[in-house]
Amino acid sequence: MSAVLGDAASPALLARGQTHATVTAAISAISLHRRFGRYWLAGFAIALALCLLLVFGTGWLLHRGVGIWGINMPVAWAFAICNYVWWIGIGMGGTFISGALYLARKDWRSSINRYAEAMTVFAVAVSGIFPILHLGRPWFFYWLFPYPDVMNVWPQWRSSLEWDFFAIVAYLTVSILYWYVGMIPDLATLRDRAPTLGVARFYGLLALGWRGEARQWRRFETLSLLLAGLAVPLVFSVHSMVALDFSEALVPGWHSTVFPPFFVAGALFSGFAMVLVLGIPMRRMLGLRDYITDVHLANLAKVLLAAGLVVAYGYCTEIFSAFYSMDRFELAVTLRRMTGAYAWTFWGTILCNVLSIQLLWSARVRRNHAALFVIALLVLIGMWLERFMLIVTSLYQDFVPSSWGMYYPTFWDIAFLAGSLGLFLLMFLLFVRLLPVVSIFELRKLVHKGEVKST
Amino acid sequence: MSSLSSVPPFASDAARAQFAVARGPAFWRSLEELADSEAFLDWLRQQHPQFAAELTVDRRRFLKFLGASLALAGATACSRPPQGEIVPYVHSPLGQVDGLPRFFATTLVRNGYARGVLVESHMGRPTKVEGNPQHAASLGATDIFAQAAVLQLWDPDRSQTLMRRADAASRDDFAAALLQHIARFNRTGGAGLHVLTGTLTSPTLSAQLDAFLKKYPQARWHVHQPAGNANVYEGARLAFGTPQSTRLHLDRAKVIVSLEADFLSDAAAGVRYARDYVATRSPENALGAISRLYVLESTPSVTGGMADHRLPLESARMAHFAQLLAQRLGVAIDVAGAPDAQQARWLDAIVAALRANRGASLIAIGASQPPWLHGLGHVLNSALDNAGKTIDYSAPVEKLPGAGGTLVDLAGAMRAGSVDTLLILDCNPAYDAPADLHFADALRRVPHVVHLALYRDETGALAEWHLPMAHQLEAWSDARAYDGTVSIAQPLIAPLYAGLSVHEVLAMLLEDDVRDPRALVRRQWRELLTDDAAWNSALQSGVIENTALPAIALPVRAGFLAQATPSSLADASLEMLFRPDPTVGDGSWSNNGWLQELPKPLTQLTWDNPALISPQLAAQQGLSNGDVVELHLEGRTLRVPVWVMPGQAARSVTLHLGYGRRRAGRVGDGQGFDAYALRASPAEWNASGLELRKTGERYELAGTQHHFSVEGRDLLRVGTVAEYRRDPHFATAGDRYPGTAPSLYPDYPPSEYAWGMSIDLNACIGCKACTIACQAENNIPVVGKDQVLRGREMHWIRVDRYYDGAADNPRAYSQPVPCMMCEHAPCEVVCPVGATVHDAEGLNVQVYNRCVGTRFCSNNCPYKVRRFNFLKYTEDGATFAAQRNPEVTVRRRGVMEKCTYCIQRIETAHIEADKANRRIRDGEVLTACQAACPTQAIRFGDIADVHSSVAQAKSSPRAYVMLGELNTRPRTSYLARLRNPNPALADEST
Repeated sequence: MSAVLGDAASPALLARGQTHATVTAAISAISLHRRFGRYWLAGFAIALALCLLLVFGTGWLLHRGVGIWGINMPVAWAFAICNYVWWIGIGMGGTFISGALYLARKDWRSSINRYAEAMTVFAVAVSGIFPILHLGRPWFFYWLFPYPDVMNVWPQWRSSLEWDFFAIVAYLTVSILYWYVGMIPDLATLRDRAPTLGVARFYGLLALGWRGEARQWRRFETLSLLLAGLAVPLVFSVHSMVALDFSEALVPGWHSTVFPPFFVAGALFSGFAMVLVLGIPMRRMLGLRDYITDVHLANLAKVLLAAGLVVAYGYCTEIFSAFYSMDRFELAVTLRRMTGAYAWTFWGTILCNVLSIQLLWSARVRRNHAALFVIALLVLIGMWLERFMLIVTSLYQDFVPSSWGMYYPTFWDIAFLAGSLGLFLLMFLLFVRLLPVVSIFELRKLVHKGEVKST
Repeated sequence: MSSLSSVPPFASDAARAQFAVARGPAFWRSLEELADSEAFLDWLRQQHPQFAAELTVDRRRFLKFLGASLALAGATACSRPPQGEIVPYVHSPLGQVDGLPRFFATTLVRNGYARGVLVESHMGRPTKVEGNPQHAASLGATDIFAQAAVLQLWDPDRSQTLMRRADAASRDDFAAALLQHIARFNRTGGAGLHVLTGTLTSPTLSAQLDAFLKKYPQARWHVHQPAGNANVYEGARLAFGTPQSTRLHLDRAKVIVSLEADFLSDAAAGVRYARDYVATRSPENALGAISRLYVLESTPSVTGGMADHRLPLESARMAHFAQLLAQRLGVAIDVAGAPDAQQARWLDAIVAALRANRGASLIAIGASQPPWLHGLGHVLNSALDNAGKTIDYSAPVEKLPGAGGTLVDLAGAMRAGSVDTLLILDCNPAYDAPADLHFADALRRVPHVVHLALYRDETGALAEWHLPMAHQLEAWSDARAYDGTVSIAQPLIAPLYAGLSVHEVLAMLLEDDVRDPRALVRRQWRELLTDDAAWNSALQSGVIENTALPAIALPVRAGFLAQATPSSLADASLEMLFRPDPTVGDGSWSNNGWLQELPKPLTQLTWDNPALISPQLAAQQGLSNGDVVELHLEGRTLRVPVWVMPGQAARSVTLHLGYGRRRAGRVGDGQGFDAYALRASPAEWNASGLELRKTGERYELAGTQHHFSVEGRDLLRVGTVAEYRRDPHFATAGDRYPGTAPSLYPDYPPSEYAWGMSIDLNACIGCKACTIACQAENNIPVVGKDQVLRGREMHWIRVDRYYDGAADNPRAYSQPVPCMMCEHAPCEVVCPVGATVHDAEGLNVQVYNRCVGTRFCSNNCPYKVRRFNFLKYTEDGATFAAQRNPEVTVRRRGVMEKCTYCIQRIETAHIEADKANRRIRDGEVLTACQAACPTQAIRFGDIADVHSSVAQAKSSPRAYVMLGELNTRPRTSYLARLRNPNPALADEST
């Protein structure tokens, strides 16, 4: 665990022979000179197509109403809320890496925090569309905002949805700020190395006049620290609020005090899984092996395992408390999750989220990138299934048996899930092409630390 | 369509011909093809605006209109300003206060029988039907059909144009043609002239028919009622020598044995019988007086659901059981075969009970049973000294046709070519005649057919003349209730589509000087209602006093029993049962969206009529719900899906009539399966020799309830009379948190009123009148079968049905569930915008225009009474709004809605009370569900007033709240159901 705990600038975090110049040249070349080939174009085309599906679906949704989805009475929430919780959970990975590990001075975050943060911003942005489109009348979403209405109508402050609205907005704002502020020195580097005037202007505008003065660096460091200090509590608050969207209700299967920490762990779990799923192909395709090394991936895998164990503990606690309470409704929901019509989602969740990650105890598996990729992918699937299980199996058979009913997704349910993947992928592909995917200045710091250490 | 000659040349002859085919699929297709042409549309709008209005409406959108149904598509004809001078109200019509509804007493007829109603009218638009407390068959309550009548009135699929073959014609054209026929019939004495009607009790119409038969001695009158009382009258004729009407006095009976008699949903008197029956079941009266109901039936019914003991028995085996019963009661009768062990125990128990309650017992026979069994019933009731006490007889309420007056006789005459002119008055034999008569084919051979009906239906399409009929709410008439009481039907509105009444048509035929239906009815009653005061008083009260037919004591003659040939059923064979559908009847209500979407009381299915099969048969044939089977009966076949019906007799297969309509209208067309295609005239109710083959296909059935076990939860609490006697508080004895649990939230400050509701499960028979009354009152949309399949029905008060016990004969329970109006409402806490809030009087109110549609409130409602507008279920068009209650908001897409305790009625009472500076009186606010309930199971009022009827009900030891342990503190509470099983049959499953 030494790498996770982090002795300063372990050489394995950076390939041998890297200097300030090579680091800067290699990373900036990706944005400035690299020709993106077939794979990028194919990925972009797929993402664009899925995105168009999302756009068309949104139009259809606004025209027809949320009835185009399979939701009904009693299952009034389903795919859209699963997608929302899933995406916002994924967002946690980036903030945790760049914020919490920054505060803890963990150097191994340096080469992965940029793309992880970008992932966070994109995931939170994608997640944010669902609570709005999910409304029966989406065009009135701003009624959740406490604006000074002439009729003196205010939001209803006891509702967790209200606080969730603020949590998402705050989280998204801080994530974007943190991501962008952290990118400014690198944008200036790109500006300075731009091959043409147009490119220089583009990055120059984004770089906000960064000149690399000591004074600027000092303020930059202070701001980074402040934003990290803000972002870290925010990830906890946002996922706790998401959890309260459920546990505030008296619905058996939702009404549980374990939810907030359980959701935070789940978010961390899926966030790290997504960091792996994006990082493994990216480092290969962009030739970043020197910067995102085996050590990084192994560290990510260890965190994934740790978070997964907490999540598994959450499952156990939930089942335990149902039996401990002997509340007949809680018990019924718990048993039905394991045996009912949607039991496959429960067992799928267990398989993906609890069993598959046990392989990560082995150092060999942690070094095997293909295995890591598959496990992380399974975790992402498992976390989506978990949300589906939590939401749908609690609703479809609750208190009054006469009102029990099944939920079946429609084409549009699936289209919105696929579309959200497309939107995320689209943003990420553009990010990879236009912005520095690895933090150049932090790599330089790492090089510097290595030099200091070796002298 | 006379003006078709003015079709401009761009409409090709072919298109014109297609258009002339009139309604039906071809009509729509051809119009859609034509619709591209603006010029044609303009022409159509000017010449036939009613068609132009429909042109733009397909079935999907049509259902949206049904939200408050379609209304005024014909009246939209007036899209241009009316020609001629128009004058606004300068002097209001007498009694009219703009904006305030008025109530008129009138009469709605079902299967010929009158139910007195009060119709709410807003500025001349009938919007809602309530029962007439002064009417014997209503006592203030209604059944589902009375509620749905107002939707039928506004149904734009109603026939709107007088048609000769495929062309529109005028009333004068018809009168001229009729005059020629009349001249001929005057010469021949009416030879070849036949009239076909449904069951009728109208004295005015009876007199007209008598005059008709006198004027044309050679003419014939036939009666056709697909599910009528022919067996009942014939049975009385066997027993008494003359046909008599039979009336039950359930309130006087302590032991009731029903042989397939579903008296609680009787077409004529079900509402009254339900009230009478439930009156004998209240433990608040003397416990010892609680009646005991034994039901033997082949297919579960509402009455069977209320039984203390229920025995599933094939319909064909009913006769044998009755013979055994008669033998044990000392009637001289030959019986072949012995009872099985279960029947023997039943016989012992029933015979002992009947003997012990002579004069206070009752044996009721179902209309589906053969005449001799009805006769035997009369013999037994007489032997038990019940005649004149729990059952009595009167002169026939129905006008009975003479010999040769059946549909079979008519079909014979038609085939023989002896029918020259056939008047079909308000019936649809081309659809609902037994298949073996091939009525539609026979009809094509009749030279002149005149069809008067609400719809240009299957029969209307084959008729030479089709006359649009005035709706019951548009026409003067009269009718008798089940006990003979006469009430007058007065129109609430001028005919929307220039419809004619039956009386007008007969008056034309009779060359009567008086043609005005009002004058005809008035003339009929000139002796009883001598002056205007008496007439007005009869109109006002809705009944003509002292017109009930007196009970007559008649000696029974048991001689007919010797000739009786009881039916039987071979062990391995199946019997086919035909019954009117619980919600669309015999098919005359097929185009009514409210009734189509009303969950059938027993299956909770909507929009379809699967064949009901027993769990045993399902297991044996490997069938499950929705499997399509092929039914073979005497060479006729029909493919239908099956529904496994708990409590169905093992060898019985039930098919409900009223579906598979071909020309019902846009709502009813093509829904379900045509049971008439299997039905034959000698065995209209029950047929043996059915074969059933599995096809392997599947069919989707749209039910509103999928789970019929209460899962051991104490949502619906039931005890026996014995348990109640031991501990009247048995219902709450097992509560985990007796009384009111503590809460962190403070109580609401007390207000002037605290509204609450109590629902007596012991009185609820599960008829669903509440559901449809609520739909009518609160502008609740009809969503269509596909949305019901998705689980999106909108009813604000549902009636849950639970089964308990073995599937082959379970106990059945009903539980109406409106909003619980929780004092600590879980829905209110979770709404982020405060769209569902508590008002000072304890109502949990939904603010539609504040709702953004998160649906969290519904997730958090443990009772799942909230309904969401997932799609746009109600169209905005102003012309379709005529039926809607102007006092209730029509909800938009994307908002949540739910029961409001009829807050608009509470507000009306508030205004009245404030004006008079007094408190709202107990009983002044009746919720729609409460008003419609035949058994007064629902009570509503101020629970803070200890003297209010709802507070009294809530103080009953049987009172409990649903899911009280959640500490939601519901304002709606329940009274536990009581069963009264016979200890001698204690180990029976029911």
